[in-house]
Amino acid sequence: STMPILGVDDKVKVSKHRRFVAKLDESRLLSHSGIPKLRRTSRQRLRLKGKGHEYSDVARLLNFYQLWLDNLYPRAKFADGLAIIEKLGHSKRMQTMRREWIDEEKPKALAAEA
Amino acid sequence: IAESTVVDPEVRAHVYSLVTALGGFNGEDADKYVLGDDALACLRDIKRWLKLYDEKYNRMDVARCLGEANLVNGDLLPILSTFAHSKKQTKYMSRIALACLEILVPLTWPLEMQGEMMADNFKHIPYLQHSHVAYKRGILNHASTGYLRTIIRIGLPSMAIPRPERATRDEGILKLMLFFLRNIALITPNTRLAAEGDEEETSRSATINAFQDQDVFALILTMCSNVGDDFNMQDVALLEILFHLVRGIDVDKLFMDDTQRTAKRTDELDDLLRKESSLRREYAKNAPTRHGRFGTMIWVKRDDAKYSTVSGQSVLKDDQTTFQKMDESKKWNKPQFRRKVQDLTLYNDFSTPVHINSAASENLRKFVEEFLDSGFNPLFTHVRKAIEREADRVVDINTRQFFYTVSWFLQAERARRARQREKRAQSERPGKEIEPDSFGLVASVLDQETFVFLNRAMQYAVDNKDWQDLTAEMRCFTQILLTVQDMVQSPLEEDQEIAENIQNRIFYEETTHDRVIAIVRGYTDQGFGYLNACTELSHVFLRMLERYSKENVDMQVRSRRRARRKQKEAGGVVEGENDEEHGSEDEDMLEAERMSKERSFDFRRFAAKFCNQKCVDTFVSFTKHYRELNTEQLKRAHRYFYRIAFKQEMSVLLFRLDIINLFYRMIKGPGALDSSKSIYKDWEELVRQIYRKLTRKLEQRPALFVELLFSKTNATTFYLEYGHERQTLPSV
Repeated sequence: STMPILGVDDKVKVSKHRRFVAKLDESRLLSHSGIPKLRRTSRQRLRLKGKGHEYSDVARLLNFYQLWLDNLYPRAKFADGLAIIEKLGHSKRMQTMRREWIDEEKPKALAAEA
Repeated sequence: IAESTVVDPEVRAHVYSLVTALGGFNGEDADKYVLGDDALACLRDIKRWLKLYDEKYNRMDVARCLGEANLVNGDLLPILSTFAHSKKQTKYMSRIALACLEILVPLTWPLEMQGEMMADNFKHIPYLQHSHVAYKRGILNHASTGYLRTIIRIGLPSMAIPRPERATRDEGILKLMLFFLRNIALITPNTRLAAEGDEEETSRSATINAFQDQDVFALILTMCSNVGDDFNMQDVALLEILFHLVRGIDVDKLFMDDTQRTAKRTDELDDLLRKESSLRREYAKNAPTRHGRFGTMIWVKRDDAKYSTVSGQSVLKDDQTTFQKMDESKKWNKPQFRRKVQDLTLYNDFSTPVHINSAASENLRKFVEEFLDSGFNPLFTHVRKAIEREADRVVDINTRQFFYTVSWFLQAERARRARQREKRAQSERPGKEIEPDSFGLVASVLDQETFVFLNRAMQYAVDNKDWQDLTAEMRCFTQILLTVQDMVQSPLEEDQEIAENIQNRIFYEETTHDRVIAIVRGYTDQGFGYLNACTELSHVFLRMLERYSKENVDMQVRSRRRARRKQKEAGGVVEGENDEEHGSEDEDMLEAERMSKERSFDFRRFAAKFCNQKCVDTFVSFTKHYRELNTEQLKRAHRYFYRIAFKQEMSVLLFRLDIINLFYRMIKGPGALDSSKSIYKDWEELVRQIYRKLTRKLEQRPALFVELLFSKTNATTFYLEYGHERQTLPSV
């Protein structure tokens, strides 16, 4: 018969493209679970005890960032992720965003002073 | 089969027949080397082969064949031994001996793996490295003949002739002798190749001891102290010998006496053992208490109702281990980009420490002291002049060797003085007045010419990205500064005056200040040697400048920039006018740039220039090596960060997560500093203070939560630190 047996005669399809690997880039960093989330949650989730608890406070701070980074980009180790993000911070777009975030806070600070 | 294809068989046949015809151990007395009938002609032919085949066509085939034929150990050394033991000096024998030396020098010449070489040659290099070590072993391990002494004997007649009467041939013989000694000092077993035989036999210790036993040190001292009169052309070769003798050797250890050195060694062993036990303790703390298949698993509850799972019993203990384990289980690593190793020649590496045994320490120290007393000033003045006028015998590498060797000997002089002070303090009769020594012994490198030379060389190295050169120059500059600092405390009034003068000259030029800053800022990935040298330089420079400017309140520096800016402003006014004037205007501008102005020096403003992200990054890279750093180095980093956070009020620069993380690891582990050391306490306190500032800042300015991730711009830093914008423009 002309029917192929168990697909032996079928041509094997070779996929041309490699699997897409997610990157930690600006758009990911600025997405919902990136820095906006950090800004939303950092204040409430991180209760720092202050004087006398310096090391435990910082340990909690580091853990908080590690979880945030793991959520954002599970592929990278903590130190690697930090290095990538630090580098992204030099770009024009990130610079303007960072400027904005600081400026948002400024009027409040000025008001508090006055 | 392999052997015959590596080298052209005809070449091999020619070379082998020459080696066979040279002579051998066959005769009535099997112990005696018998020269062939035409031995001298054979030796000359071999030399010709090396010159007209290897050298001319830029190959290494003949050298390889000679290595395989065992020419050096099998023929040349026995011949030299016959020469050494012959009762009466025949002209024929001394010519033979000289011919041997003429072959030994090219055969032991350093192998450069530089670009222009024929690709073909690379296959010979490992073999030749091996045979070099074998030659050195043969030459140093003499049973009955001191080969080095024999070689010196070949050169002695030429040495004895006064320089004006010396013929070119005599100068050539002296050159050969010194280059032979240089080659012997230089050959080191390549650690990347498998060792053949006992490495101790060709180590630095063995070299130093042989140099002492066979009067090579005496020869070097004689030549160095007469370098200006009788040995004009030999200065560079002498410098190279010194460089290869001392590179990498720890000066402080050298100047300890035996009991101190033993104590130091015990301390080091103690340190190592303690380090090991702390490693083990740390492991034991986190080691599983049950067997490997006990199978614990925990959930880490996260926000958004997410969970992570981590396995192993250790994670039950505390958060930190859990988080660490979560991180460690990730498989992906960020790709690292490594700088290509630019300098393939191992011979010029001076950053790797070298250890020598106590006999060699004793010998080398004696030599160093005698050299400082007699040879230092004449040699280094002469070499500096030769390099400056670009004499034919000078090659590029000599500059680096010059600066490194100068820095090493300056450090040695300081160590010797410190030791003498110690001894005097310990001696029974403190009432006895001892004539204090002046610093005249090292004066030749503390003059204005040397500073000009050093400055120019540093600027050249910075411009050309010659990092190895720059490292040597930084070390030299640091040692000069430290020597001057010792001079200030000298009991001799003359020394104090000179020191004052030198400091004035060093600190007067603002370009020097700017260069130091530029170097510290310029670190990217030049390696640990550079990192160590530049952090040390900035540390020493800052501290000395601080003290000096405090003592001289009205200190002036020569500044260039102010003049330039004024000119620019003036230029802006006339810009609308016709173009013809522009030509002369540009010239005026250049003139104005060259023109310099004096202005009063403000240390605070200068120190502030070290407070920027680039400098902080350099010191952070340095601190990352904290587990291998010694107390002095850790203190250096500590002082810097202290200056940043508390003296200059710029702690915001340190508020970056990788830095905070690094500090945390240093104190709390895993892999923390040894907590029983005093430097640990200093760091613990510093980090605590920085953390306190951090938590306070986070309360005050929530924007820091985001900015923690990044390097901050100047404006951001200022706002985060003070809570408002900078009001006035920063003045340059």
